[in-house]
Amino acid sequence: MSMVYLELKGISKSFPGVKANDHISLEIEKGEVLAVVGEKGAGKTTLMNILSGFYQPDEGEIWIDGRLASIHSPSDAIALKIGMVHQHFTLVPVFTVAENIVLGAEPTRFKAVLDFKGAVKKARELSQRFGLNVDPTAVVESIPVGQQQRVEILKTLYRGAETLILDEPTSVLTPQETQELFKTIKMLSSEGKTILFVSHKLKEVLSIADRIAVLRNGKVRGVVKVKETNERELAKLMVGRDVVLEVKKSPPLVGEVLLETKGLKALNSKGLLALKGVSLQLRAGEILGIAGVEGNGQTELVEALTGLRKLEAGEIWIKRNRLKKYNPGEVRQKGLGHIPEDRQKRGLVLPFTVAYNLILGRQTQTPFSRRGWLSFAQIDTSAEERISLFDIRPPRKNVEAKNLSGGNQQKVILARELSFAPPIIIAAQPTRGLDVGATEFVYERLLKARAEGTAILLVSLDLEEIMSLSDRIIVLYEGEIRGELDASQATEEELGLLMLGVKRTDEVKA
Amino acid sequence: MFREEVLAISVLYEMLPTLLNFTLAFGAVTAIAAMGGVIAERSGVINIALEGIMRIGAFTSVTAAYFWGYHFSNDPIFFELSPWIGLLAAILGGALVGLLHAYICVTWKGNQIVNGVAINIFSYGGMTYLLMQIFGTAGHSPPVPLAFANRPIVIPWIDPYSFLGKVLWQQTVFTYIALVLPILLYLFLFETTWGLRLRAVGEHPRAADTLGINVFKSRYFAVIVSGVLAGIAGANISLGISNLFTIHVPAGGGFIALAAMIFGKWNPLGALGASFFFAFFRALEVAIAVSFPALLAYIPRGVFLATPYLLTILVLAGFVGRAVPPQAIGQPYEKG
Repeated sequence: MSMVYLELKGISKSFPGVKANDHISLEIEKGEVLAVVGEKGAGKTTLMNILSGFYQPDEGEIWIDGRLASIHSPSDAIALKIGMVHQHFTLVPVFTVAENIVLGAEPTRFKAVLDFKGAVKKARELSQRFGLNVDPTAVVESIPVGQQQRVEILKTLYRGAETLILDEPTSVLTPQETQELFKTIKMLSSEGKTILFVSHKLKEVLSIADRIAVLRNGKVRGVVKVKETNERELAKLMVGRDVVLEVKKSPPLVGEVLLETKGLKALNSKGLLALKGVSLQLRAGEILGIAGVEGNGQTELVEALTGLRKLEAGEIWIKRNRLKKYNPGEVRQKGLGHIPEDRQKRGLVLPFTVAYNLILGRQTQTPFSRRGWLSFAQIDTSAEERISLFDIRPPRKNVEAKNLSGGNQQKVILARELSFAPPIIIAAQPTRGLDVGATEFVYERLLKARAEGTAILLVSLDLEEIMSLSDRIIVLYEGEIRGELDASQATEEELGLLMLGVKRTDEVKA
Repeated sequence: MFREEVLAISVLYEMLPTLLNFTLAFGAVTAIAAMGGVIAERSGVINIALEGIMRIGAFTSVTAAYFWGYHFSNDPIFFELSPWIGLLAAILGGALVGLLHAYICVTWKGNQIVNGVAINIFSYGGMTYLLMQIFGTAGHSPPVPLAFANRPIVIPWIDPYSFLGKVLWQQTVFTYIALVLPILLYLFLFETTWGLRLRAVGEHPRAADTLGINVFKSRYFAVIVSGVLAGIAGANISLGISNLFTIHVPAGGGFIALAAMIFGKWNPLGALGASFFFAFFRALEVAIAVSFPALLAYIPRGVFLATPYLLTILVLAGFVGRAVPPQAIGQPYEKG
């Protein structure tokens, strides 16, 4: 009979206008892997931030190992042996691995002089003991994301963590890295560490967790044993209604080539060659998925195609015409819609109203303006029309874009980019950070556009998304096309190997 | 004509110790203030208020030294202390303004540039007002009875007529502060745990926070120290180089210090080098204008003064090496 190690009793936390956590009670046993799942805004992150000392609960108690714990700051949490691996890593990029691991609890000589050698030694010992291979002297910004995550885990282990909180740990990993992480988690739990695994990916939690707690609207909707549940049941608990997990796609009606690139080369913002000669064709009525680990040239490809990034070499052809001027205005004129990766920075002007955001890029054209003067009546009617067409909430044209939820911000962008029916759409991570409902909406709209003959280039880090939406998949690795697969035949393993640069298409097939 | 120029250059060479002497004296001000820039920015807070804090430090130091000096004019021991009391006042003044900057930028998450500019503008009007209120003068204060400039450091075992002796002739305590401080700051930032933590706060405050490092305290500490150093740099001008306060002080010296900080890539030793590099050009300009006006026919006035800043612009533009500031610079930290 194992014992309860960590117990949450009636935790509540409110923010202005939202009850993020509403009397949450959970019991977690020592050495157990408990998955906490829920949609965006379900209260998972708030709960974890309470455990790790970032927030104070309004009500409720936390018991650890039979004792009432008071956690008022991250240091309290560390003292109680709670370690958190944040979704967005909290590593200092310019420090070495060892410096990052020991930061805040450094080995010293004469009390204050940093003992660099000691730090490296301790980091090495830890990484060997837990089999988390990473070079302690490497600078963090120079190592791959998977290794950075190991550094995060080592940081918590260095502080003697007994409880590990992993917040959406797989969102940045390749399938292979995820497998590695799962091995690590299993090993840690067998060493008696208690693990809280926060995620919204149901397949994953089913394969790693012992039990799963489902959160919705700040409340625990159920705690189930993995052996006694399935994906459909979990999804229902999570969303509160039946969800269609499978994307229903009509067979593609592929037409002529609308977009073609020949040997595209471009630099990244550090001045290094990020695209090393990318040639691809995009046809009407198909979705071409671009898969790859973050930072392998996807951003540069999207920016090059949309005229935001200078080309070093290569050509872009739209509808058999070679583009002569590579700037965003020109590209738009030629019929290319863009759903940018960072919707808040590039997709919207946040302090502008929804109505203005809906005409951005077309503000100089009729009917929205005449001789440089804006035609407000036209702007308003068009806005109202599209707000109802795309179900933007709240349905008010004068709300500032910054006050909308992420999902609704994305709807504004979709409404702007899709409703002028451009023949080509570049969609970069169109569902990043969206909840299930909004994701469904985006999928539905993209598939509708596809059915109407739009050529869609879909760039995403989410393999599942790529696989379920695309007709063809291209894998980018270090700025090169590593392989092209038919989506109906591609497997996750195969894609993963290509993404890691281990193999090329022909080798995989052989 | 040609002979004259050759002569001029050879005499300039003869003047090298004097040039270096000027360089040390001018460079000390920049270096001390630049250290203030380095420590604040390493913690993630821009201190563009260096200029204003220097002015305030120059004023408070003169005021304290003036009244202390006259009060104890009959007591030789206390009288000798008067410049030191001035220095203490500069430290306090600088610390207070640093505290204000930290309060607004850290606690209230105000815009660091805007608040810095506000302090700079305030310092001008505020000190003009205080000059009138305290001394009844406009533009400058009366001279203090005893300044550091009257008490240069004499190192007995150095022959004043040797090369080194000429370089160190008439140097005040500030020159030595400027030479030692960057080394101490370097060791602090790169060899101690506190330095590592402070840099972590400037690079990635959330990472620091999750590890139990108090971001607010660290930034308060850094910005207050920054104010203290700027105050000392101000006292350097008013009590080390001259013996009174002039409202135009430091006449862009705070911005020059920021340029030195950038030129030195946010490294204390780099900023020290940059400060003396800038000061050398300034000394050269003065030496030529005073001793060899004939050379001005070939070298337009201002060229030497402008060169260092042109280089700073090139550094910022990425032509001469690359200067990468701490990543969290200018961003107030939001918890949670």
